[in-house]
Amino acid sequence: MTPGGATTTVLLPEVPSLGGLYARGAGLSLARRMRPGPSALPDVEYVVRGVQSSSEHLTDYQHLLGESGSDELPAGFVHVLAFPVATALMVRSDFPLPLVGLVHLANRVTQLRPLRLGDVLDVRATATDLRPHRSGTQVDLVTEVSVDGSVAWRGVSTYLARGVFLAGTVTEPSETFVPPTPTGRWKLDGDVGRRYAAVSGDRNPIHLSALSAKALGFPRAIAHGMYTASRALADVGAGRGDAFEWAAEFVKPVLLPGTVTVRIARSSEGFAFAGWDARSGKPHLTGSVTPLR
Amino acid sequence: MARPTTPTPEVRRAYVLGGNRIPFARAGGPYVRASNQDMLTAAIDGLVARYGLQGERIGEVAAGAVLKHSKDFNLTREAVLGSALSAETPAYDVQQACATGLETVVSLSNKIRLGQLESAIAGGVDSTSDAPIAVSNRLRRALLDLSRAKTVGQKLAAVSKIRPKDLAPVAPNTGEPRTHLSMGEHQALTTAQWEITQAAQDEIALASHQRLAAAYDSGFFDDLVTPFRGLTRDANLRADSSLEKLAKLKPAFGLGLDTPATMTAGNSTPLSDGASTVLLGSADWAAAHDLVPLASVVDAEAGAVDFVHGDDGLLMAPAFAVPRLLARNGLTLADVDLVEIHEAFAATVLTTLAAWESEEFGRTRLGLDGAFGTVDRARLNVHGSSLAAGHPFAATGGRIIATVSKELHRRKEATGAPVRALVSVCAAGGLGLTAILEAA
Repeated sequence: MTPGGATTTVLLPEVPSLGGLYARGAGLSLARRMRPGPSALPDVEYVVRGVQSSSEHLTDYQHLLGESGSDELPAGFVHVLAFPVATALMVRSDFPLPLVGLVHLANRVTQLRPLRLGDVLDVRATATDLRPHRSGTQVDLVTEVSVDGSVAWRGVSTYLARGVFLAGTVTEPSETFVPPTPTGRWKLDGDVGRRYAAVSGDRNPIHLSALSAKALGFPRAIAHGMYTASRALADVGAGRGDAFEWAAEFVKPVLLPGTVTVRIARSSEGFAFAGWDARSGKPHLTGSVTPLR
Repeated sequence: MARPTTPTPEVRRAYVLGGNRIPFARAGGPYVRASNQDMLTAAIDGLVARYGLQGERIGEVAAGAVLKHSKDFNLTREAVLGSALSAETPAYDVQQACATGLETVVSLSNKIRLGQLESAIAGGVDSTSDAPIAVSNRLRRALLDLSRAKTVGQKLAAVSKIRPKDLAPVAPNTGEPRTHLSMGEHQALTTAQWEITQAAQDEIALASHQRLAAAYDSGFFDDLVTPFRGLTRDANLRADSSLEKLAKLKPAFGLGLDTPATMTAGNSTPLSDGASTVLLGSADWAAAHDLVPLASVVDAEAGAVDFVHGDDGLLMAPAFAVPRLLARNGLTLADVDLVEIHEAFAATVLTTLAAWESEEFGRTRLGLDGAFGTVDRARLNVHGSSLAAGHPFAATGGRIIATVSKELHRRKEATGAPVRALVSVCAAGGLGLTAILEAA
């Protein structure tokens, strides 16, 4: 059974480069915006077998995000390895939403057991649950990573296409954010977007420079949502255990350079985290890391 | 009514309960991008996994690095915070050149002996691949002045002091600050003084490789080493080394002396990256955690020599410390079953042994009636040492202590008789640290 119950499998020889996918997605996006409205998701799964990571890549990731030196692959690093497979699905001509301008709303990862350097990974990606959002249409990209046929890691990335409307009822957003007592602060230099781009391969122009971000409607470059969520996961540290669920909601982009005030602290279920702008009190992201027992 | 004075604590035994290290890599090898903090954390986490210490509050963790970035001022505590140990585990950094690792074992054992600690983790790490590069003193002063400058004039004045040659980075080296001779050049002087041949040094090197390879093959290191970054054995290990191959290597040190140059890359330790840890505890703590004590740390003695004025060789301090240590414990070399002499260079081991075998050195330098004694070569570095394993400076002490403690315990299990080990580590600055361990 495939995650989305897809009937067609597209087997890619290797994990595609995000740069090439963005170029392709940019061409298709314009055409898609012209269409009257999205209809259905393609009934397809994308698969890449035999994915391996290098110790240099892992070390660079650990140093950038503040993960400990270990041969275990942080859950955010697995996302970096696997997510381009989902992106390949999003640039298909029959994918109903435009890639350029998609907003990463939320991300939820379930790590069932730790993956290690040297593990040979099979990645499988599907798109599910096309649904209305108050300012457009959202969709879930589901990525599963398995070793020897057994799933170890599952990620659900929720994206929003603004201004692309779908018939249906809109679920209202969560309650208002009240800034808690901070436990720390992330001082993000102007090059954080470029540095995470180098490690993740995600060179979306909105993260790279003020100029390229302005062209897409942002006043300055913005941090990758996954950079902030992965940093929160690193800050949780070993307390997350071997198996856990890691969920993040990206509320408001972090403009670079910038300072994010954070709280990463124990909660009744595990750990809760939040990052916000201390001056406005508005949240950038909220989330949790919940050990699975 | 008189208040009673605080009672003097009773001294009890401190035990080595286990150890864990990552395989040692050659500089520029698989750990080239790994920082000291990465490697120390990996070594601690391997120990935690092996002994089930997840979330455990250990009494204290002490470790250090010889080549240390200034941002790593709290290296050990940061490694603990990044590990699976309880975040409530205290930690401190130690720096005693190549004796750092052994000093952490000695000082933590003493705290356990005095009842201040129930458990402890000793360790050390070094990276010559990720070594700090400093800026020149003139550039550093100008930059500090610039950061304090308030007016444009002050800023310009600070910047104007910088000269092009000040921009050259300053890399660390193994040169002695007072003599400006490298450690190899210093040892070459001592090697010549004691007339040690290349053949004798190559024999030490070959035995080191063969014994370390045999220990790996027999599974001895299965519960002492955790693979890291694809490395499962020490990268420097050459199981197929031979005296013929070693003899062909060109001398690397002592080239300018009027005696033959005998020290080669084959009988000197390579620059290395790696980390090691040792788990220490009281008998009660070991029992409560279902751990079997391997050896107790009995006593230790540090020494130092005046190499600056040529009185003794740079790495000869253990030659003085060991006789004092054994005398204090009523022991002679014959009472020691295992002798671990850190192989900074094969010649370091041989000059130390030569000094102990010398009647004149015994009488004039050690104040004895004659020679201090002879070490049975069959008891020396029985599972190989730094020539084969490599020598990430501060990590060597932990490697030796974990290895020799396991061997002590194994021998006592086999025979039931008391077994003792002597450990000797030389260090920069003319320092040396030595210790006695006894099988538990």
